[in-house]
Amino acid sequence: MFFTKHSALTAVFALAVAAASAQTKTVDGIQNMRHSALSPIYAGNEVKGYLMFGRGDKADRKNDNYLLDFYDQDLAKVSNVTVQKPSGRFTLLDNSFNGSAFAFYFFNSKDETLELETYDTSLKKLGTKVIGELTKGDKMMIANQQKLEDPSAGGMMGSGMSLFPVPGQGFVRNGYTGLMKGYTLAMYDDKLQMKWRVTSPENSKQYETVGITEASDKYLLGMMMRRDGLMSRTINASMVAFDVATGKKVLDQPVETSKTEQLSLSSFSFDPEKREFVAVGEYYKPDDKPFVNKSLGFYIKRFNEQGKVVSTKNYGWQREVASLMPAEAKPSLEDNYVNYTHSITKGADGKVYIVSEQYKVVGDGLGIAMTALGGRGANVTKGKIGNLFVYEIDPQGKLTGVKFYAKDPSTATLPAGSSYMSAGIIGHIMKMQGDFDYQFLQKNDANTQFNAVYINFDKEKGAATKRVIGDIAFGNNGKYAVDKIDMTSDANYSYLYPAKPGYVMIADYYKKKNQLGMKLVKLNI
Amino acid sequence: MAETLASFEPIMRLPLPFCCPSGFTLALRLLFVLLLGTGSVFRAAAQAPDYLPYYSKDTLRVAQLAATQRAAVKTYFALPKEGNSAYRDHYRQVVQEAARDVYNSIRYSALLDPVIEPFVQQVFARILKANPQLPAGTRLVLTRNPEPNAHAVGNGIVMLNVGLLPRLENESQLAFILCHELAHVACHHMENGLHEHLTTLHSKDMKREIRRIIDSEYNISSQIKALALGFSLNTNYHRRRHEKQADSLGYVLLARTTYDAPQAYRALQLLDTIDEPETTASLPLASYFSCADFPKTFAPVPDKPTSIFTVQKTATALETTDTLKSHPDCAKRMRFLHTLAQGRVAEGPQPASSPEFARIRYVSRLEVIQSWFDYDCYDHALFEALLLLPQQPGNAYLHSVVQLSLYELRQHLQDHTYSEVVSNKSTRNPKNFNELIHVLHGLSYDDFRGLSTCFAQATGAAPAAPADEYALAARYASTSLTSEATAAVVLKEQYQKQYSGGKFDKLLFPAPAKAVRR
Repeated sequence: MFFTKHSALTAVFALAVAAASAQTKTVDGIQNMRHSALSPIYAGNEVKGYLMFGRGDKADRKNDNYLLDFYDQDLAKVSNVTVQKPSGRFTLLDNSFNGSAFAFYFFNSKDETLELETYDTSLKKLGTKVIGELTKGDKMMIANQQKLEDPSAGGMMGSGMSLFPVPGQGFVRNGYTGLMKGYTLAMYDDKLQMKWRVTSPENSKQYETVGITEASDKYLLGMMMRRDGLMSRTINASMVAFDVATGKKVLDQPVETSKTEQLSLSSFSFDPEKREFVAVGEYYKPDDKPFVNKSLGFYIKRFNEQGKVVSTKNYGWQREVASLMPAEAKPSLEDNYVNYTHSITKGADGKVYIVSEQYKVVGDGLGIAMTALGGRGANVTKGKIGNLFVYEIDPQGKLTGVKFYAKDPSTATLPAGSSYMSAGIIGHIMKMQGDFDYQFLQKNDANTQFNAVYINFDKEKGAATKRVIGDIAFGNNGKYAVDKIDMTSDANYSYLYPAKPGYVMIADYYKKKNQLGMKLVKLNI
Repeated sequence: MAETLASFEPIMRLPLPFCCPSGFTLALRLLFVLLLGTGSVFRAAAQAPDYLPYYSKDTLRVAQLAATQRAAVKTYFALPKEGNSAYRDHYRQVVQEAARDVYNSIRYSALLDPVIEPFVQQVFARILKANPQLPAGTRLVLTRNPEPNAHAVGNGIVMLNVGLLPRLENESQLAFILCHELAHVACHHMENGLHEHLTTLHSKDMKREIRRIIDSEYNISSQIKALALGFSLNTNYHRRRHEKQADSLGYVLLARTTYDAPQAYRALQLLDTIDEPETTASLPLASYFSCADFPKTFAPVPDKPTSIFTVQKTATALETTDTLKSHPDCAKRMRFLHTLAQGRVAEGPQPASSPEFARIRYVSRLEVIQSWFDYDCYDHALFEALLLLPQQPGNAYLHSVVQLSLYELRQHLQDHTYSEVVSNKSTRNPKNFNELIHVLHGLSYDDFRGLSTCFAQATGAAPAAPADEYALAARYASTSLTSEATAAVVLKEQYQKQYSGGKFDKLLFPAPAKAVRR
């Protein structure tokens, strides 16, 4: 459960404070609060509202009232929807908005079913769908997703079961076959009528999972992870694209194998103007080992809609990047860090911006010692997160700027066997675990202003340590600006959310007062 | 325990301006303003051509007044002997809160200036003199609150917000509003209302109903909401009855004075449109804030809806049905008064005010602007100043408050508290205010430099030496905005030397520790 709300008699009869029109909102009667209780609603690039999901009071002997509260982008309450579902056994897995409909993805743990509900923009219900017979893989992912959504996780996001909005067309739901043997993808229209469903081939010798990363007018893009067995430590990543109208797989191409160089895949997206797929990652010498040997640089590979390579651009650390690299960035580059690409975005002026964050694997002395002594289950690897970079590439593909943003390093615990995985895979694991300090990239609908937002705090000391929100602003005015917001407060939990352009939203939860304070903070840029 | 003139607030409390985060912050803010010492006390004479908002470092008088009235509230609302223990505990709690609110309202917002306050006291005294049967101990307190409102407290205090004065046309209209509040006092509406409220709340029927809801186990929240709505409707029914009585008796009280009784009707007419600005025309933003150095364009507010939601807002019974509101619509009150006055009413815009009242309206307007500023509502301060500026293009105080507001807005932007001091756009706001808000939302740090520069150019060359504390503070603000660091340091030293512990000292030059959090 994400938040629970109660109505004490005293609260009902208490005098209401005069309605304020400042961009803040206080909600009373919140008994507990997690990051996932509140989620931004996007329309296009911009945040246009927020959804708050929680459990209210009992509806009858078997059911509770579950509350869906809607707020607009200025935190004004729009409306609310109450649904009656099994007591304490109903959780929201995901919500999304595709421009014409809101979709909510619930898990009913009593009946072990997944439930979808869609509403139009006036919050009139459009459709419902109950999905039974969940596979073991589905159940594993749901359990994992719910485990991650703990208040102390401070923004960790589950990524197992999701509902992906396809603008103006519907929603795509992912699932797993067997014990994570394969994947399923199902596309529904706004009224939840199924349009298509695809599953991984039953005769496939490999285990396959797909993570959807982007939906365009024509394609559903994702990264496919393949391995020989469930416990296999070797994972290969491929770029995949599905036809959004039919579900047919139109691209399935590995990027980590090459005769001349070893590639890691960090990002895969679609450029709607050039009608090209774009892969970004780092490249190594064919025989080099990631984390042992340094990468040679990063690459951008473009493929046409038939999957044929259109262009490959390598940006070598010692060549193209070195001349533009700020002096203060050089020590960290000598320290075996590699880059994880969080976002690639194209501005209205044709420039491409790549936001990446440094990470590397470091040994855990205690873990190594325990393993040496025959200890089981000890982690021998830890991840370390470093600084942020923004690379600017002009419309002709020339690297024109490298911006370096130093921050305090933070650490991540990696699963056993991570040291055998490639750089790209480890980066994705760290991303899925919520280990990076980078939080999100905000952009306006005109694609002229971008804000890369991160939280810099010492995770080893826990959430009570000082936390600072960092914002790197850039765009077609050619200026790069940094803003830092002290997020430290006396709240029990503070969560950061995307907001309308030029703002971020901070939600502070005060357990003793059962109160949630939400505020929009205008960035000083 | 309080009856208000136009608001729907049920219980006495310091009314909050729209954009201020909390009453506590507001109180602290005013405490801060009032505690500041100054080397000079502004004592603008009524006839002085230029008026500066009143400020005094002497807080003793206001503190004594606040303490006296707090004690008076406690004495007046002695604990009743009847009622069960829950009733009596609740009664005690309400009185404690009311006494505290009265203290805070007076202590941190009473306006004891030498121009407006004597004037309104003289109007009040004339009413009392003509109506000797009114309860002894009634007292008028003028507050700095910029909202156009007034309310009465049970023990006979009438609180008049300075924000109401610029909206009235003559002394008789003010007299009717004071008579209306005195009628609440004379009819014991606050005590009776409190008694009725608590009696219902702690009645056996209510307890039985609450017990029933809790025992039902299910859908408790919606049942409690329905019960609370019914309770509010019942309370509002009684309050409407009180308003009608207050209008009726207020008119009688006014008729006994030498004031013009037909103006009572006109006062209600004005209240009907009290939330509308003086003009609905767009502010001339481009002429003040765009220039060769900063050629900013002020695009019109887009008509495109910014919300993705198309939810039709369903108004509650309290919002739609006039019979369920705490105050009847002004139109109904006017019809009632029209009948009461047997048609002898003043309607429509009245002839020009007497010079004395015109002066009161004018200086009150400046006090309102300064109040918005002191409440950290810089959007409202700017709006009000820019509304008045075309009529008073040479008014140095207005120039100062614009520069100071720009400076404070930039400081809040820097400190990431901008959203707390700039309102949201709202359909309830006047269109021209929304236009200003739209501009403020789109500003960046560097924009404030350009705005300040252009405004200085548009309003003409300032005197070489600032003539008063406001002008000097504003000179520092504009110099800081335009990044003239050395000059700003000189001005800071000049201010601190000339106005040691002055009105703006801690605001503009906070101690380093406080500067971090502001």
